[in-house]
Amino acid sequence: MDFNVPDDDDPRRLEVRDWLARNPKPAGRRVAEAGYAVPHWPQPWGLAADPELQLVIAEELDRANVPAAYHVNPVAVNNCAQSLLTHGTDELRSRYLLPALAGEEIWCMLFSEPSAGSDLAALKTTARREGDHYVIKGHKIWTSLAESAKVGVLVARTDPAAPKHRGLSQFLVDMDSPGITVTPIVDMSGAQEYNEVFLDDVRVPVNQRLGEEGDGWYLATTQLQTERVALSKPGAVWGKGPSARELVRGLIETGAIAESLVRDEAAKLYVEGEALRLLALRAFSDGQNAKPAGPEGAARKMLAAPHGQRVLELAKRVQGARGLIAGAQPFGASRPGAHTVFDDWDYAFWFSPGITLGVGTQEVLKNIVAERVLGLPREFDPTAKQPFSQTIEPETAASKTAGRETAGVR
Amino acid sequence: MNFALSEDHEFLRDVARTFVKKEIDLAPLLIPGATVANANYDANWKKIADVGWPGLIVPEQYDGSEMSCIDLAMVIGEMGRGLSPSPFFGTLAATWALLRAATGEQKSRLLPGIAAGKTSMALAIADANGSVDGPSSDTHAVAADDTHAVASRDAHVLNGTKSFVVDAASASTLVVAAHDGTSLRFFVVDARQAGVRIEVLPWRDITRQVCNVTFENVRGERLPVDVATAWPWIRDRLLLVLSLESAAGIEHVLETTLAYAKERVAFGRPIGSYQSIKHDLADTFGASECANVLALYAAWALSNDAADASNAAAMAQSYTSEAYVAATERSVQIFGAIGFSWEMENHLYFKRARANATLFGSPSVHRARLMDSLERSIREGSAA
Repeated sequence: MDFNVPDDDDPRRLEVRDWLARNPKPAGRRVAEAGYAVPHWPQPWGLAADPELQLVIAEELDRANVPAAYHVNPVAVNNCAQSLLTHGTDELRSRYLLPALAGEEIWCMLFSEPSAGSDLAALKTTARREGDHYVIKGHKIWTSLAESAKVGVLVARTDPAAPKHRGLSQFLVDMDSPGITVTPIVDMSGAQEYNEVFLDDVRVPVNQRLGEEGDGWYLATTQLQTERVALSKPGAVWGKGPSARELVRGLIETGAIAESLVRDEAAKLYVEGEALRLLALRAFSDGQNAKPAGPEGAARKMLAAPHGQRVLELAKRVQGARGLIAGAQPFGASRPGAHTVFDDWDYAFWFSPGITLGVGTQEVLKNIVAERVLGLPREFDPTAKQPFSQTIEPETAASKTAGRETAGVR
Repeated sequence: MNFALSEDHEFLRDVARTFVKKEIDLAPLLIPGATVANANYDANWKKIADVGWPGLIVPEQYDGSEMSCIDLAMVIGEMGRGLSPSPFFGTLAATWALLRAATGEQKSRLLPGIAAGKTSMALAIADANGSVDGPSSDTHAVAADDTHAVASRDAHVLNGTKSFVVDAASASTLVVAAHDGTSLRFFVVDARQAGVRIEVLPWRDITRQVCNVTFENVRGERLPVDVATAWPWIRDRLLLVLSLESAAGIEHVLETTLAYAKERVAFGRPIGSYQSIKHDLADTFGASECANVLALYAAWALSNDAADASNAAAMAQSYTSEAYVAATERSVQIFGAIGFSWEMENHLYFKRARANATLFGSPSVHRARLMDSLERSIREGSAA
C-alpha cells in the first residue's frame, strides 16, 4: 500500500513540463497530437498511459493553465468518443476523432427526451431506414452544448417492435443538417446551459451509425458510466469548480471560519472532500492495477453530488444578505486558473440544485448502488419486456405537458 | 501510488478474520441482564495472547513483531468487526505510552512481558469527562489535576483518581498520567498492589471494560518524557485504532442489515426492494467507503510519519465514528422491532459506535484540532 502520488520531480512530470516549455499555450490540436488529450487511449490518439501517467499529465496541464480536453469537449472526451474508437468504422474515426480531441468540433449528447430522462430507454425519437439513409424524427431535451456543437451523438429507436432496451441505435449526426432546430432553455440560475433539439425528418447516412442496429442501449450505458473527474481538484459540480479545500481556505482568509458553527461545518466538509479525493485516487489506482471499473463510480457520484451542494451552500451562506446580490462572490474575485463556468462560486451555487439531477438523479444513483453494488432486488419495470410500441399510451394530457411545452415560463 | 493491499496484508487480514470468527463468541452478551462480566474478556485475551497479538507493536529487540500501523490495521479492523471483548485496546495504548515515554532500560524490562502475553495493560489518562484534549484543540494534554505523584526514596507515591480507564480491571500493569509537582508525567503502576481500587463502570457498551481507578499511596515508576510531549503521538494511534474498529464495524453492520433486508418479507416482497430501505443502505455503503479509505489513509500516514499524519488521524476518527453511529441507528431501524431486542447483536454495535465516538474526545473536538492545524498552515502560507 502506498498513498504517495508521483513526486514533484518525477521524470514523467519533467517530460510533460519540458513539452510545455517547448509548446507554450498550445492549441487544442497540438495537445491532441501530442497524445495529451486522451493519454489513456492507444496510439496514435493517446499514449497508452497508465493511470499514474494520466494523473501526472492532467496535473501538469492544469498547472500550466492549458484547458483540459475533457473540459473543452466533455461529451466527446468523457463519454462518447471512446465508443467511436471501439465501435466506429475507420472512415468515421479518421473523419471525427482528431477534430473532437482537439476541441475543434464540439459534441453534444442527444439522449434525454421530455418523457425519457432517468428512464432513458423509454425514448420515442425514431430512426426509420430509407435506402442508404435513416430519417430521424423526434424531440430531445436537456442537451448541453447543442448551441455550439457540430456533432450530435443521437440515440433513436430503430425497432419499435422490440422491447424498449433492444430497439435502440446510435448515430453521429451533423448538427447543421436540415431539419434540426435548437432552442435554448434558461435554467433556474438564469443561464442557458441546456437546449431542446427538434429533429424533423433529419436525414442521416447509414454509415454514420455507431455500431450495429440495436446496440444503442449498450453504447449509451457504457457512455454514461465513463466517468472522468478532474482528479487533482474534486470540484463541487461533477468534479468541476471549487472544492472543499478551497472553501476552507476562503473561510480562513475572510475570517468567516471564526464562527464556531461555520468552523465545524467547514471541517466536516473538508473531511468529506478528502475522503472523496482518496476514493477518486483509489479508483485511479484500481485502474493502474487493471481492476475493471465497476458501479463504484455511481457510488462516488452519489457521495460527491450532495457534498458539492453543501460546499457551495456554506460558501453562499456566510455571505449573508450580500450573497443574494447577483454575481456576488464569497471569496473575492474569480479564481485563478478558472477553466469552466463552475469556477465562479456564485454561479456554481445557483446552479447547484442541478448537481443531483444531471448525469443521473440522486435517486437513480442510489438505486444503482443498492441494486448493482449491494445486490438488492431490482426495481420492477412493467414495460421492460413488452414490445415498445405496445407500451406507449396514446397522447394524454400528461404526456403532452411533460417537457417544457407546458410551462408557462416562456 | 497503489491503494491495493499487499498479499502479506491480505493474508494477515484473512488470518485475523478467521480467528475472530472462530474464537470470539458474543452469544453470552445476548442474554438479557448480561454485563461486561459475561463478555469472556480474560478468556478471549488468553486466546489472543496465544496467537501472539499482544506483541504486534512491540519492537523486535523486545521480542515483539514490530508491526507498522498499516500492518496493525489488518488485525484491528477484524477485531472491531467482531467487537472482540478483550484488554487489547488498553494493552496497545499503554504499550504506545511506554514506547514514546520510557527509557531504554524501562522498555527492556517491561515490553518483553507484554510481547509474551503475560502482562495486560491499561492507560489511565482521561479526565472526569472521558476526554483528554479538552474542548480546545491547542491543548496537547490537559493538566488533569486528579492524580498526584510525590517522590519517595526509590519510586513515586501516587494518590488520586483516574476516570474512564479502558481495560483497567483486566490489566496487571497500569500506565498512569499524574502530576509530579512540575508537570504531567506517566507512571508505571502495578495494578495488583494494595491501594489500587478499580471499579468497573456500568458502561453501556458491554463489549468493553471501562473503569474508574483510585490510587491511595500507590507506588509508581516515573517515565522520563512528559505527557504533553508524548501525548499527540499516542493519541493519534488511539484514534487510529478506534477509527479502524469503526470502519470495519460499519462493514459488518451493513452486511448483516443487507442480508436481513433481502430475506425479510413484508407486503409480499423483500423489504430490501423498497426504495426507502435501498436508499438508506446505499447511504451506509457510501459512508462505509469513505470511512474505510480515511482509516486506511491514517494508518498509512502514521506508518510513514507523513506531515499530515495527525490531521489524517483526526479526520479518520471524526468521520468513522459518526458514520458508525449513523449506520448502527439505521441498522436497528431496518431490522425493525426485532433489532430493538436484547437478544439481537444490533444493540452491541449501536453501543460500541456511541462509545467509539466518545472515548478520547468527541468528533467535533477532533475536527476543531484539524481546523486549527489547517488554519495555521494556511496562515503560514503553505498548502492546505
